[in-house]
Formats: sequence, C-alpha cells, structure tokens
Amino acid sequence: MKEMENNLTAENSLRLIAETIDRSRRTIARNSGRPLILWGVLVAVTATVIWALWSKTGSAAWNFLWFAMSAIGAVCMHLLMRSSEKVPETEVSRMLGKIWMWFGLFSTGFFALVWAAWGIRCAIGIEGPLSVDLTLIIVLLMGLCGTLSGAVLKFKPITVSSVVATTLSVLFLMVMPSGSPLRILSFVILGIFALVVPGVILQNQTKR
Amino acid sequence: MPENGKQFKPLDPLLHSELRLAVMSILLEVDSADFVYLKAETGATSGNLSVQIDKLQHAGYIEVTKGFKGKMPQTVCSITDCGRDAFAAYVDALRSYIPGR
Repeated sequence: MKEMENNLTAENSLRLIAETIDRSRRTIARNSGRPLILWGVLVAVTATVIWALWSKTGSAAWNFLWFAMSAIGAVCMHLLMRSSEKVPETEVSRMLGKIWMWFGLFSTGFFALVWAAWGIRCAIGIEGPLSVDLTLIIVLLMGLCGTLSGAVLKFKPITVSSVVATTLSVLFLMVMPSGSPLRILSFVILGIFALVVPGVILQNQTKR
Repeated sequence: MPENGKQFKPLDPLLHSELRLAVMSILLEVDSADFVYLKAETGATSGNLSVQIDKLQHAGYIEVTKGFKGKMPQTVCSITDCGRDAFAAYVDALRSYIPGR
C-alpha cells in the first residue's frame, strides 16, 4: 500500500468517499420511508371506511372521501416534513416528488372525469353502467408509480412489493363483481403492500 | 515510479484531507446542503468545518450562500463545476496509486 501525505492512503481515500456518499444517501432515503407509511395507512383506512359506508348506505358518493383523504394527507405531510430531520434535495427526491405529484393529478382528473361523465349521462337520459373501470385505472397507476419509485431509489423491496400488490389488487378486482363496494378494498391491499411494508423496510434498512 | 512503469499522478492537496474530502463527497450527490447537515454527516466540529468550507470556497470548489431561515442564520453550500472537475481528477489520481488499476 502506498503511503501518501496526511496519513491518507489511496485505499482509505476511496473508502472515505464511498462511505460518506453511502451514509448521506441512507439519511436521505430514510426520509422517504415515512411518507410511504403515512400515505399507505391513509389509503388503507380511507378505503375501509368508504367500503363500510358504501355497503351500509348503497351510495357510491362516499368515494368523495378520497378528496378528504388528500387534504388530511397534505396536512400530515406538512407536519411530518417539519418534524423530520432536514435533508438536502437530490435528483432522486425531486424525481420521486414528480412521480407521485403526477399520480395525484391523473387520479384526481380521472375521478372528476368519471363523475362529470356520469352527470352528463343522467342529464341527457343515457342509462346503463359506465364502460370505464376507474378503480382498475387508479390501481394500475398507483402500482406503476410504486414500481417506478423503487426503481428510482434503487430499492428492490419497493419494486417487488409494488408489483406483487398490483397483481393481487388487479386479480381481486377481476374476481369481485362489477359495481360491488367490495372492489374498493383493492386499495387496502395496495396501501399495505405497496406503501406501508416498503416504507417500514426502507426505514429499518437505512437506520444508522 | 511504480514497478509496472505507471506514473503516480499528483494529488490535489486541497482535497487530500479527510474532512474536505467528506464535504466534497456529500456535495457531489446533492443540489446543496446546509451547514447543519454537513456537520451531522461528517461528525466534525463547527469550527473545523467552517475553516475547511472556507478553504474549499476560496479554491472555487464550492459556492457558499449565507442567509436566514426564519430567524436562524443559514449557510448553504453547493459544489461548482470546477469542484466537480477537481474531484474527478483527484479520484483518477488516486487510482494510479492502487496496484492493478
């Protein structure tokens, strides 16, 4: 081993660089785990509440509770960010933010479109069920965003659990009868397995 | 000169210091980092970190912005293109010291 000035050897310098970068990445990744857990719990709880109310009253209008969930989630995220340790922004964190922002915009847009289409059909007297499966579209979008998040973070458990959760949710949707409130429970599978479980793994694996 | 005839490349003395190298390694990965984060990640004392940040800034390797976050003073550092090039050259030089590379 060639000794260099300052008691740093070439090997030590390279090790120091690798360890510092790795430690910094872990600190930043650890902060990505908490939002996953938060949104996973919110999605699972909201889906369960909507299913219970929809089953009891027979009204699909309880789906508007998703908007309330978004508002509650935004407030919780703000509080979570304030209480978390401050970490710098990286290309990865920026990309994750954009992926989930577009998921939010697309799913809210689809939701609004379906209700608008329903309103127009009622107004002009067209009967019969809508030929769009909104739940399936949002499940697929959410699964895709979860898988992309895992790929961006280079964290396999997120990718794997997102793929598994999406497959199980889609299978569940195919088995359940069309129009049944039970179909909303596919979000419980997705919330727990695509968000909460990887969030917990991410937090535990990146602890100092 | 090493046995295989390969030349040892000169090492940038400014980067060949544990703390300055750690600071540069962190800044390489992020858009910018504040003093508190750099202190936590490197485990350095405030005084030592301030001195090393000054040296890197005077060499043009990093940019330092001083401001306020709320009522608290905040020092934010980010790596410059010159710093990125110097870091790449330093790593390249290090490799010439390792046999078989």
